[in-house]
Amino acid sequence: MKSISEDNTVEKKLIDRVYWLTRLRWIAILGVVATILTASRFFRVSLEVRPLYSIAVFLAIYNGLFSWLMRHLQGRQMYGVIKALANLQIFLDLTCLAFLIHFSGGVENPFYFYFIFHIIIAGILLSRRETVILATYAAILFSAIVLGEQRGFLHHYSLLGTFAVSLHENFTYVLGVSFVFVSTLYIAAYLTTSISSRLHERERSLTKANELLAEKDRIKSEYVLRVSHDLKEDLAAVHTCVEPVQKGVTGSLNEEQMNLLSRATGRSKQLIVYIDALLEITKLKLTEKMEMSSFSVVDLIREIVESIGSMAQHERRTFEVQMDPGIPSMKGVRIYIQEALLNILKNSLKYTPEGGKITLRVQSDRSWLRVQVTDTGMGIPADDLPQIFTEFYRAKNAKALLKKGTGLGLSIAKKIVEMHHGKIGIESRLGQGTSVSLEIPLDL
Amino acid sequence: MSKILIVDDDADIVEAMRLVLEKRGHKVTLAADGNEGMAKARAGKPDVIILDVMMPGLDGFEVARELKRDSQTRNISILMLTAIKDKMGFDFQKEGVDPNWLPVDDYCDKPLDYELLLEKVDQLVRHKKN
Repeated sequence: MKSISEDNTVEKKLIDRVYWLTRLRWIAILGVVATILTASRFFRVSLEVRPLYSIAVFLAIYNGLFSWLMRHLQGRQMYGVIKALANLQIFLDLTCLAFLIHFSGGVENPFYFYFIFHIIIAGILLSRRETVILATYAAILFSAIVLGEQRGFLHHYSLLGTFAVSLHENFTYVLGVSFVFVSTLYIAAYLTTSISSRLHERERSLTKANELLAEKDRIKSEYVLRVSHDLKEDLAAVHTCVEPVQKGVTGSLNEEQMNLLSRATGRSKQLIVYIDALLEITKLKLTEKMEMSSFSVVDLIREIVESIGSMAQHERRTFEVQMDPGIPSMKGVRIYIQEALLNILKNSLKYTPEGGKITLRVQSDRSWLRVQVTDTGMGIPADDLPQIFTEFYRAKNAKALLKKGTGLGLSIAKKIVEMHHGKIGIESRLGQGTSVSLEIPLDL
Repeated sequence: MSKILIVDDDADIVEAMRLVLEKRGHKVTLAADGNEGMAKARAGKPDVIILDVMMPGLDGFEVARELKRDSQTRNISILMLTAIKDKMGFDFQKEGVDPNWLPVDDYCDKPLDYELLLEKVDQLVRHKKN
């Protein structure tokens, strides 16, 4: 049973291809006109140009109609209608080609080969049954013209004057050509639909494979979530049992006992931080709906500045905030945006030494919020920069400076920004500093 | 000397809390699940109940509501232990809870800061005396 998303892709592909057909037809019409002009003027072939140009005009009119119809239908899901229109278009194309051939020599005009292109196009767009029906129609049209002209039922518009022989009266010739022609049509119909159905099969299995992968990823994320919760529970218990002992609640400790217990609680605290970050990013990955609300950017920035400001002062670093006046409210998940900005600022704090400077620039234009965090920290090596947003990735110099670090701060920030349909970018020079810039739509 | 009842299924955390509270001079009784907790609350009439949320069987929410419904236990102060911020994304302390839905008197996040726990217990005990 096909899934809904599969149907939409197949439909969308059909609409795109039929649209492509209308565009192709404009080129074909130009070709017809050019051929008539070149043949009659340049090669001096004797042609009844009036009926030929009339057919070209007719083609232009109905292609214009179809183009308008296709544009009108492009938004809607009307698979059946689109298919019917595709059939109709090819039907009319075959009819016009038949008339063009009839008015320009019939069996004398090798352009009857072009019927094959229409059958190939039909094979790509339509089902095998529809393609064979159209091939049959083309066969009937062609046979009617060449046999009709041979028998004398139809007027023959000869290309005489150019070619001396009256091939059209020769039954054997006409029959031979008809046979080759008709067989080519059916073979083309069969071949194209075989290739086409194989392609469709491949498309379907790829779509299914992708869905399966997405599902597996989701299952994995839920597993990570469960395991992380369990790990956190145990770690919390470790911490709860050791901390009172360390703080002397169960009696005084000697130096060596204090020493080792401090190390133990320090490590368990670090693990809790690590697992919290892992839980955070896994939850973000699993979140499908976001609880959006309108909130004041100015208030949010003020809160962030307060918490970062005191941390920065702690090691004599300057923290400068440049906020444009009149920044409007934005729509999003406030705690997530706060977290993204805090993660970026905390990185700057971690990797900017004493005496350094961190600048937070906040601007907005009509529909975007732009935030930039620049620091004079140790920067990121050029070969680490392309991977810096990857989960758990830490640059070499970051690892050297601080052995502990989750490698998730920027990944979480990136995920949050992308969930808000925004963009995040980073520039850095080793030894000079780093600049992270965010662009988030004010309203989605 | 106040009576504290701890209702929590995590034996290790319970032991740590017991030690810490007893050192402080409180008298501590333990219950490993919601039903045992209700029974001991009715029998012992503690001053404060430290209640974990995630327990097998009757969970913390249900126990809290039951305690407040029962006239024998209505006046006991409830201190709830929560790690739910992670599981539900709900920060009890910041966002506040409808007291009818969750009738507890205070909360404490896990992993426990035992000094904060002692402070909150003391606060609840003092509040009761007044």
